[in-house]
Formats: sequence, C-alpha cells, structure tokens
Amino acid sequence: MTLFDRVQRAMVYVLLSLAAFVSIFPFFWMIVGSTNTSADIIRGKASFGDQLLINIVNFLASVDLFSVLFNSTFIAVTTTFFTLVVSSLAGYGFEMFRSAFRERVFAVLLLMLSIPFAAIMVPLFVMMARMGMINTYSAIILPTISSIFIIFYFRQSTKAFPGELRDAARIDGLNEWQIFFRIYIPVMRSTYAAATIIVFMANWNNYLWPLIVLQTNEMKTITLVISSLASAYYPDFGLVMVGTILATLPTLVVFFVLQRLFVEGMVGSIK
Amino acid sequence: MSHLKLTGIRKSFGKVDVIEDVNLDISSKEFVVFVGPSGCGKSTLLRMIAGLEEISAGELFIDGSLMNNVDASKRGIAMVFQSYALYPHMTVKENMGFALKYAGAKKDEIIDRVAEVAKVLELDQLLDRKPKDLSGGQRQRVAIGRAIVRHPDVFLFDEPLSNLDAELRVQMRIEIARLHKELQTTIIYVTHDQVEAMTLADKIVVLKDGKIEQVGAPLSLYDDPVNQFVAGFIGSPKMNFLPARVEDGLLYLEHYEGQFINLPKLSESLKNGTKVVVGIRPEHFSNSGGSSLSLKVEIVEHLGGETYAYASNGNAELITIAMGANRNISSGEEIEARFDTENALLFDNFGARIR
Ligand SMILES: Nc1ncnc2c1ncn2[C@@H]1O[C@H](COP(=O)(O)OP(=O)(O)OP(=O)(O)O)[C@@H](O)[C@H]1O
Ligand SMILES: [Mg+2]
Repeated sequence: MTLFDRVQRAMVYVLLSLAAFVSIFPFFWMIVGSTNTSADIIRGKASFGDQLLINIVNFLASVDLFSVLFNSTFIAVTTTFFTLVVSSLAGYGFEMFRSAFRERVFAVLLLMLSIPFAAIMVPLFVMMARMGMINTYSAIILPTISSIFIIFYFRQSTKAFPGELRDAARIDGLNEWQIFFRIYIPVMRSTYAAATIIVFMANWNNYLWPLIVLQTNEMKTITLVISSLASAYYPDFGLVMVGTILATLPTLVVFFVLQRLFVEGMVGSIK
Repeated sequence: MSHLKLTGIRKSFGKVDVIEDVNLDISSKEFVVFVGPSGCGKSTLLRMIAGLEEISAGELFIDGSLMNNVDASKRGIAMVFQSYALYPHMTVKENMGFALKYAGAKKDEIIDRVAEVAKVLELDQLLDRKPKDLSGGQRQRVAIGRAIVRHPDVFLFDEPLSNLDAELRVQMRIEIARLHKELQTTIIYVTHDQVEAMTLADKIVVLKDGKIEQVGAPLSLYDDPVNQFVAGFIGSPKMNFLPARVEDGLLYLEHYEGQFINLPKLSESLKNGTKVVVGIRPEHFSNSGGSSLSLKVEIVEHLGGETYAYASNGNAELITIAMGANRNISSGEEIEARFDTENALLFDNFGARIR
C-alpha cells in the first residue's frame, strides 16, 4: 500500500465515521435526553441521568397515551392497508393491461407527482370541510390512499412479474381478481414488504395534514402531541424525548419484522 | 378423442399481422409440432389455441365446437410453458392440484390424482418442496405433471425443453414421447429444435412470417419439401444450395465454372437459361454417383460416429458433406464429392420446388 492509498483510505473512513455520527447522534440524544431534566438537556448534558421514571410519569400525566397511540396506529395501519391494495392494483393494471391511453394517463399521473402538497392543501381542506369530514379519521386516510409514488413503484416492479405465471393461472381457471389476490400478491410479497415500510413510516410520521384537519385533543396523533409538547410556553424536553422514543418504536418494529421479506426474491418461479 | 380445426385464423397486434390465414386440421391423438424461425408466430398461434390470446379472425374448433370465445380454462387444454411458470409460493403438491381445486374437485380426489401423476413422473419425494428447491429438470417435470393432472384433451407445449442442458433435454424428450404413448392425447408442441421436431412429431407444421409453409410427416418434409425454405429449415446440418443455370438439358453450376451436372428427372422440361437452385443434402454425397464437384476441404468436424466436412472450390459458399464415420479426412485435402442428381432437388428463383 502506498502512502497515497493509505491517506485515501483514511479519508474514506473519516468521512464514513462522520456520516455515521451524524445519523446516530439524534438517537443517542433522544435516549440520553429522556433520562435527564429539561434544564440538563438545554445545558447540553450528554450523559445519562436519573430522570427517566419521572419523565415517563410526567408524560403519562400530561398525555392520554392510549388514545394518542390508538389514533396514530389506526390511521397508519388503515392507510397503509388501503394504499397498498389500491395503489398496487393500479400499478399492476397499468403494467398488465394494454390500452391506447395508458401511457398518456400514466404520464399525467407522474406529472402530478411534481405538485407539492402545500399547493393542494387549502383546496383539499375546503373540500373536506364541505363534506363535513374535518376532524375525522377519513379526512386523513382518504387523500393518501391513492399514492402516485406507490403506483409507480408497483408498475415498475410488475415488469419483473413473469407473464407466463398469469397465463398459467388463467388456464388453471382463475379470473383476473383471483390472479391478483392468489398469485400476484404472494409472488410479489417482498415488493409489498418494502412498500409497507415506506407507506407506514410516511403515515406514522405525517404531520402537516393531520395538524390541519384534526382539531380536538382526543383525535390527535403522536406526532401532533410531541409537537405541541415542544412548543409549549415552558417546554419540558424530557417529556418530548420520552414521546419521541415512543413514536420511533413502532416504525422500528415494522421495519425489522418486514426486513426479512425484503431479501427474499422471486427465486423459483422461473428459471 | 379430440380433434382441432383451424380455419382462416389470423392475428394482428394493432397494425402488425402476426398470423395470416392459418388453416390446419389436427386429428385426435396426433403429435403436432410447430417449427419455424424466431418471431414467425409459433407461440402466438399456440396461445390462440390455448385461449390466452384473442383470435383476430377465423375460427377454432375443438371437437367440433367453436372455441373462439371460450375461456382458456374451459377448452380442455393444458399448457406447459418455457419458463415452467410454477407458482413460487406453493409446494409441488399445491402447484399440481391448483387447477383441480379451482375446477371444484374434492380434496381426496385431488390428492389421489396428484399422487398418481407424481408416481408416473417420479416426483413422489418432492411433493412438499417449493419450486425454488428443485433442479431445472425437476421443475420441468412438475410443470408437465401439473398439466397431466388435469386430464386434458389437448396438451400444449411452448419450447418446454429449451431451458434444460443437452443431456436432460434428450432425457425429457424421450419422456415426452413415452407420455404421449401412454396418455393417448393430442399434443401440440412448439420448438425450434430440429431433433425434437423430427423425433417427436407425427406431423410437422413449418411456419414462416405467420403463414404455414408446409404440413406433413417428418420424413415426407425431409424428402419432399415444397419449397427451398422448408428444405433448408428441416434437416441438420442444412441442405446445400447451389445456384445453377439450365443449358441444353444439363445444369451449369454458376459458382463452379465449367462444371455441368445432369438434370434430375422432371415432369416439365426447362428452357435454356432458366435460373434454378440445386439442393443437395449432406448425406447424399458419396464416392459414387453420376455427378461430381471438385472441392477443397476447409474444416472437418469429427463427432466420432459422424464426420462432417465443410468444403468449397475457393470462391463459393461452403458445402457440407456427411462422410459417415470417416476419420482419415483432414482439412486442406482435395476431394471429389460425387452424388446422384436423382437425389438433388430443384427450386426456381422464388424458392418454389420444380418437380
Ligand atoms: N403482445 C404483442 N404485441 C405486439 N406484437 C407481438 C406481441 N406478441 C408477439 N408479438 C409479435 O408477434 C410475432 C410473433 O411472435 P411469437 O412470440 O409468436 O414468435 P415465435 O415464433 O414464438 O418466436 P420464438 O421462436 O422467438 O419464440 C413477433 O414478431 C412478435 O414481435
Ligand atoms: Mg415463442
């Protein structure tokens, strides 16, 4: 190894270490913070304290944890379920069924990806208000079910789905719906696992839209609660850290449960 | 039991005509092989018979009933795909019983029928495995088993052996021939493998650009092709084609200046100056015979039991000569390739046979 190689190597490691530090530090800070008093956190104390239990007790006293977690979970799970069913069905359809217009329709869909949410937020709110859906679960769930990104993702993944599998299923007597539910979904389960992680995280962490349409305390999700804790007149950062940990756990669980499926390919269906 | 009749079958994808006016009769228990160059429409024709592709025009009858608008699962057919198309998330047993389940068969009956077929194909030990844990040959057998379990009237195969290595291919070919004997069903088989076509078929259908060039028994296609395309397509190694011109009842070989050969017997006499193509099969060359070509051997292939020499007279295309088990020939040798013109076939400028 020449000196130059060594220097180059060293630089690569320094860079990687920096990146690792930057990505891990917030987690570290979150965990350390949950064991310290708000004053310690503000002072920048980076070692574990003895306040964890007190923080948890205070958190439980100021937040109706059960209803908050229920709201978050219900919204994220329902949305993820319907988004996957609807958007994967659309992606599958776009790839499998030929039509003179499909590329044009698809292009319009993709164009809509470039419209930022902020631009449709107000009209969407007005629409929801007219339908009397403000402060309901539906107001959060309905607008997100048809996800253009997920449709696109499934269309791309469907290109790898062997067409002869569909032919075989048709000869075996399945109709188009049965092919989708009995063959396509099980065969594409790694794609579904990846999409589940993406969609679940996006919905669990969703902030802006719930902030606008959910107006009473008993409807609030955990992201909203944490943000209101943090923006109080005298915010108790110990509580905020406890809340953040609680908010992070479910996404980690979803990720690790589904991770195994990621790796599984479609080995064996075709040579 | 079940015969097929195709009349005026056409298929177009948008403006592109892929199959043009195919008329074909397939009788019960017949083993029919579709051959033709890549892209000629073999798979498309098979898929139309299967009900996987809509028929643009024409009529398809199975056992006398019109099938054009009948669902693929109700045509009494089973299909074996090139990629096997096994359901990856199901075990071998489930794969084989899947169609029966959807046809509403009872559990016990499914188990019995799957077990019976598994025994015939020696799959008994593999029934609980997933496709990904099988070898290529085993997957192929499962795919065939899945088709047999349904007791179809007609089997459709689309290049079923092309993913297998040479040895397995031979083995499976023999197995398919045996199955045809045992099952006594109609089989339509697509391949571009010469040997599969010649050995398996009762009847070969040669396709080109979506049209049938010739239909017939393997040897009749081999001995008596209707045109130059079929002559060149059937047979391996290929038939040799030499351009020639008719002169005073003899054939003047254009690429072999000064060489004349006799005209084979024809029903009509040809005018002087008519351009023709002479077709000679590699095995028709020998040490005897009324006509001869002086050639220089350029490449020799010793296969052990069979030797092929590729020879030319310097400027023309290579001529393939089958030399039996001759091991004494080597490249660079000058040879006198003799043949009997009665074995030669003549084709006109458009490739049609002159008889
Ligand atoms: N869905 C389709 N849309 C448009 N053209 C198609 C479609 N399917 C097949 N074709 C065209 O039809 C022609 C015949 O295709 P087909 O698959 O039947 O050929 P093949 O004889 O089976 O060839 P191979 O030996 O390569 O399998 C090809 O030119 C192909 O491009
Ligand atoms: Mg094909």
